[in-house]
Order: sequence, then structure tokens, then C-alpha cells
Amino acid sequence: MSKLFNEDVIEEITRNGDQWQQNAGHAGKANDREFRTLSGIPVEPVYTPEHTADMDYLRDLGFPGEPPFVRGVHPTMYRERTWTMRQLAGYGPPEETNKRYKLLLSEGATGINGIFDYPTLRGYDSTDPLARADCGRGGVAIDTLEDMRILFDGIPLEEVSSSLVTCQPICNITVQSMYFANARNRGVPLDKLTGTSQNDFLMETCMATAPGVLPPKASFKLSCDAIEYCTKHVPRWNPISFAGYNYRESGCTADQEVAFVIANAIACSEEMVRRGLDVDSFAPRLSFFMNGQSDFFEEIAKYRAARRVWYRVMKERFKAKDPRSLAFRFHVQTAGVALTAQQPLNNIARSAYHALSAALGGAQSVHIDGYDEALCIPTELSSITALRCNQILQLETRVTNTVDPLGGSYFVEALTGKLEEKILMLLEEMDGLGGIVKATETGWIHGKIADAAYEYQNDIETGKMPVVGVNCYRMDNEVLPIELFEVPETAKVQEKRLKRIKKERSDSEVQRALDAISRCCDEDGNLMEVIVESVQSLVTEGEITEILKDKYGVWNPPLF
Amino acid sequence: MKKAIRVVMARLGMDAHWRGSVVVARAIRDAGMEVIYLGNQMPEAIVETAIQEDVNVIGLSTLSGNHLELAPEVVRLLREKGVRDILVILGGTIPPDDIPKLKAAGIAEVFGTGASLEKIVRFVSGSN
Repeated sequence: MSKLFNEDVIEEITRNGDQWQQNAGHAGKANDREFRTLSGIPVEPVYTPEHTADMDYLRDLGFPGEPPFVRGVHPTMYRERTWTMRQLAGYGPPEETNKRYKLLLSEGATGINGIFDYPTLRGYDSTDPLARADCGRGGVAIDTLEDMRILFDGIPLEEVSSSLVTCQPICNITVQSMYFANARNRGVPLDKLTGTSQNDFLMETCMATAPGVLPPKASFKLSCDAIEYCTKHVPRWNPISFAGYNYRESGCTADQEVAFVIANAIACSEEMVRRGLDVDSFAPRLSFFMNGQSDFFEEIAKYRAARRVWYRVMKERFKAKDPRSLAFRFHVQTAGVALTAQQPLNNIARSAYHALSAALGGAQSVHIDGYDEALCIPTELSSITALRCNQILQLETRVTNTVDPLGGSYFVEALTGKLEEKILMLLEEMDGLGGIVKATETGWIHGKIADAAYEYQNDIETGKMPVVGVNCYRMDNEVLPIELFEVPETAKVQEKRLKRIKKERSDSEVQRALDAISRCCDEDGNLMEVIVESVQSLVTEGEITEILKDKYGVWNPPLF
Repeated sequence: MKKAIRVVMARLGMDAHWRGSVVVARAIRDAGMEVIYLGNQMPEAIVETAIQEDVNVIGLSTLSGNHLELAPEVVRLLREKGVRDILVILGGTIPPDDIPKLKAAGIAEVFGTGASLEKIVRFVSGSN
């Protein structure tokens, strides 16, 4: 037992607190403005030991790097190693994005965070009729292994860790395979590679949609194939990054964000165990991608609660033993939905608060959004400003001096506890529904997210949620002080390259590759094992997708 | 009784972000109008559905940056088929400089980031 206060002390504090509340009168109670967190948790005017009376220090908080990891996943956190500054980058053909990667690395970014264009993320080639208006938009276009070679040309793969935002498993199964195949071609052994791929089936079936997506079960299988492959062959790679960030961007609340990533990780872990893997062989590499939203303290409490819930899930459900299996490691991106198109420079301030909450919440890596992202893909200036914002936070504010600086704050601890309760309730509810894959098939997840998104928007409409520049402090006839980013010509570049490749590659090799993938689907084998080899024939992503859709069918997410 | 306004909502091309379109679709439905939610489509399919379903308004949504290419195409295809009484509106991440171009191409109104639901609903309900 390591309770912080004995019952007598709590009683006395409570008595004094009641008296204080009476003295404070009007101000001590809720008035016309409702005091709640962004996810709806009521907030008291002041927090005292009374609100954390049940807290047992060693059981509920412990020391950093030790169970239950609430205070951080590493013993000395940022004193030893600061968070990685991983700025998202990707647009146009691969040669253009390669230049942006090199620029960010030369300016002090400590990892690559590569995003792919809409067609690539959905498994389409740049030349597909459906892709004609979206090539090179929102990310870089990748069609074949040759594009992957160009994308990472001159970047030392064994030194730089790469995060591949291959959100949808249908994309990941091919594009991640291309990354591995490219490394092998460059003579870099797979066990030297470090990085992360997103590979989240909820991204394919819930959050980001496309014309004709794979059904949830199939998408989930592809995701698990990549986890299994990496566990066996690429041990330093994080094969999945549960994309809570995007769940939140789609509309869900802080507690749902954590509950959904953990429910997803539970499903993947159950599947890996079913495939015969030991929990401690893959769990240390499960990673999470979270959203830094505007409710400053709730976000900090969210990260802390996530660590406690994850610890208990891995310990109790899966009997994990390796401390690394029990530690919730996560990357944070600042909230895109919180950015405004109005008075866009204000976004620099918003994103800085979001990033500060991530640092105080113990994030392993942080991306800060460009101030122009409610208008366009970030320009070079806004990308660099975002990186500088991260550097200022890390080097000038001294928040890195001590671990979990808000640990022990009555408010933050009480809020951490409340969020934990809400997360556990949601996990129980999803268990009752048969797990997250089932909850996706029935549209339960879609409904939850759409409801929350609608409520959020209505709160902005009514002014209940002030957004500076949007529903208050608006400026009429505002002149935009920013230059907008133009996506470089992509479709023509990709089309020309693809045409040449299709002429030069060996048709029989391509056919053999496609047959092998098709056979693997029929035999329910691990597709990544096959696709890593297949991409050497310069088979395109779209050709692989066609087989997968033919074998698994397509699905319409129940969004409305 | 006056016939309810019918709206077809679609996301253009490969754009992935459904939040805006679903929130707007709900607001329009809650205001008593009928919404057919199409998901991702190319202009040809959107126009075909709009004509078949005899809608008053086509609501397009995109954040990917494909708006200048695909949104005017919807209007052009409608005109080619001799349809002039369907309003085409667009929402999403639209750089302000593009708005005059879109309007010149026949888009009735553009609702960018930060546009209020009330304004959108008012515009759509005034369409007949």
C-alpha cells in the first residue's frame, strides 16, 4: 500500500473543501458556461487530494520505465533521449519528395515520415482512370519498386528510421514490401532496418474511404500478415501504428481514440497468438499514433491513461512479461481538424500547445502541422516553421528537464483516472460486440465517430466551443499572408515511367509473381512473404490490388 | 404538400476524408431534406445518379486538391445532358484563389474550412 494520504487527512481536506465551495459561492459552481473537457468529462473548479484519495502511488503511477508506465515508458525519458522530430512529408512524384526528405534531414529532422498519395494509399496505380485527378496529391506517388528506389535514393536506410504512412493494409502489403525489397537490393539486411508502418485496418474500412475497399476481415488479415512478417524478419521494425490520430480526425473523442486503438491492438494480438507467436515476440513492436487536440490537460491525461490501460491489458489478458510489451509507445501529430483556414498564422500557436501537451504526456515522437494545412499541402516555409516550433519546444522551454512534470497534479491524476474509466467501459462494450473487427462490420464504430463529429460541429455552430477566427474574432476581408503550395506535375511523370517499365519488364516474370500472390490468397498464406519477392518483377501496386480485390471482394463502409 | 428537397452527396475521386460530407449530410437530413450519400465517385457516376434520383442539389466534398479538375466536370456533364436545374455545391479544403475559378465554371457555392452548417443548410434549402 502506498496511498498518499490517510483517511483522516482526506476527511479534513474534504470538510475544508466544502466550506471553500460555499465561500466561493457563484464562482465555485458551474455558471452559464459549462465546464467540461472536450470529450465531455465535467471539470471541478479546483482539485485537491480528495479527488485522488483512492490513488495508490506504486500501484497506479510507479516510476518511469516501470509498471504501470503511467509516468513514462523510459526511466529517464527526455533527459536521455528527446522525442524524435518526425515531420510528415510527401507529394508529387518520388524524385520531388526525395528532395523534401533530404531538406528536412539536413535541417535537423531526426527521422523520415513519409506519406503517400491518395491512389497509392488505396492500392491504385497512377494511371488508373479513378486516380487521374489525385496523383501526387496528399503524398508521394508509388507504383513500382523503381519508384521506391528513387524515393529513398541517397538516404542511408540503415541509419535513418523511416515511418511509412501506409495507412491502409491494401497499400501497406505492397508498399512496405517494396521498402524491404529496395533495402535488400541496396545490400542493407532487413534486421538493420528501423522504422514504422501504419498498416491499420480501421484506416481502410472506417476512417479514410475509397471507391471499393476490402471488407474488414480481409483488411485485418493483410495487416496481421505484415505484423507476422516483421516479427520474423524485420525485428526492429514497428509493423503497425494504430492510427488513433485519424480516428480522432474523423471525429471521435479522446476516450474513444484510446479505446479504439487498444481494441484494435487486442484483436491483432489475439490473431498473432492464434498464429502461434509468443506475445513477447511481437508486442514490443506494436506502436500507436495519437492526436494532439486542443483540450490541453485532457490530452496529457489521455496519454497517461493510455499507458495504464495498455499495461493492464497486456499483463492481464495476454500475460506478457517483457517490459517492452507492456509499455504504450506513441507518436503524436498535432490535430489537423483544429486548424483554421481563417487567419492561418494563428495555427502556429494552436499547434505549439498541441505539441506541448504531447511532450508533457511523454510522447516518443512528435509531428507539428504546418500552419497552412487547412488550405493546402504545407509549403517549404510552413514545414520548416513547424520543425522549428518542435525544436523550440525541445531546446528552449526546458520541459524536457524532468519526467512527467504534471504527475501528482490533483487535476491531471483525477482526469487520468476518469479517462481510464471511460476507456475501460468502451473496451468492455466492444468485447460484448465480439471485438473490433465485428464492431466495424456492423457499422458500430462508424456510428460512434459520426455522432461525435456531428456533436463537435454543432458545438462550434452554437458557439459553445469557441474557435478563434471562425466563430469569434473573425476578420472581414482577410488577406491571406501565406503562399499556397502547388503540387508538382505527377500524373505525366508517373505515366511515362510506368509505360517504360511495363515495356522493359519481363511479362513472364510478372505473370509468375501475380500467380504466386493469387495462390497465396487461395492457400491463406502470409501475403507479405510472397509480395516482398513479387515486387522485384516490377509488378505494379494496382496489379496486386486487382488480385486481392478479386479474391476478397469489396465493401461499402456504412457511413451514413 | 411541398416535395422535400433531394440532395446527392459525394466525395470526389479518391479523396478520403468523410467527416465533412457526413456531418453536412446529417445537418441537411435533420433540416427535413432527403439525402442520398454516394461515397467516393467520379463525375460521370455522380451526374448519372443525380439525374436518376431527380435531385435538386449535388453536394461535392473533397480535401485532396482535386477540386479544380473534377468539380467543374460535374457541371459540364450536367450541361451536356441538358440539365440546368440541379445546383452543384462544393465543400472541403479549397484555397481561396480557386473559388472564383470554380464559380466561373458553374459551381453555385463553395463552402471551405470553417463554413457553418447553418449557412450550408440555408443555401441548400433555398434551392427550389
